[in-house]
Amino acid sequence: MSPGVNGGRRGTGAGPASQDEAEVARQLRDKIAAQFGRSLHIRTLDTGSCAVCEQEIRLLTAPHYDLHRLGFFFTPAPRHADLLLVTGPMIRAFDVAARKTYEAMPGPKVVVATGACALGGVYPPDPFVHGQVGEVLPVDVWIPGCPPSPLALLYGLGVAVGRLAEKTPGLTFIADQGPSGGEA
Amino acid sequence: MPLWFARGLRRGVVTTRYPARPDSSAALLPAPPAFRPRQLTRQTADRLIAVCPSTALSRQDSVLVFDAGACTACGRCAEAAPHAVTSSGEFELAATARSALVKKIPLLGEAR
Repeated sequence: MSPGVNGGRRGTGAGPASQDEAEVARQLRDKIAAQFGRSLHIRTLDTGSCAVCEQEIRLLTAPHYDLHRLGFFFTPAPRHADLLLVTGPMIRAFDVAARKTYEAMPGPKVVVATGACALGGVYPPDPFVHGQVGEVLPVDVWIPGCPPSPLALLYGLGVAVGRLAEKTPGLTFIADQGPSGGEA
Repeated sequence: MPLWFARGLRRGVVTTRYPARPDSSAALLPAPPAFRPRQLTRQTADRLIAVCPSTALSRQDSVLVFDAGACTACGRCAEAAPHAVTSSGEFELAATARSALVKKIPLLGEAR
């Protein structure tokens, strides 16, 4: 089956090959969302992050955010994980470990890239880092932020399992202007 | 005596109800910038690109390309040009496509 829920490797330019294929893909997505709907285990993977993303991830289990009330749990083993939460700019020395971790996870599985490093905003590709997680793993959900706050992570996890609707395509990052065009 | 029980009743639940209800601390978080196109000249845009420490800002002729995925919400652009840049206040930014995070901001007085 396809590596992830949303087919992270599929090109954005080409549409679905046929109507049937889109329908099958939708059914598969619904089935996986139903499977992930109640309880989901997360394995975190640090590919050279500065550990601030990890601090925010750890905060998810604090009483204020209480990740477990939503059915998310952390697991120390990729073999028990449904979701791989990847931080850091994907250093090249970590290639084999990252691939092995991904392959060790049972399907269906979701890969979530976390933080500006993982999204390719901080480190350009060079002999030491790939610069972004998508170069090595098929990423399904991208969570921006430096670091992403626990709320942003909760939202990203919700998007990853299909419980929350994605807002990003509707955002413009253009500020509302007053009649005078904003204060000058 | 279970004093902690009485204290719990008095203080209520500390856990956020976030996905179901908005969280009150969300407004305090650092957020990526939002731009005012009517204040954004080509000169201002180039200044913003120069102060940006990540690869979030770039310019393609008459549009400023803002990559929210690369933005670290450091606030340097809002500091450099407070009339043209404010905080978007947005933290729900997770995307299922990397390209959905790249936005085009039109510049002032340029053909689009």
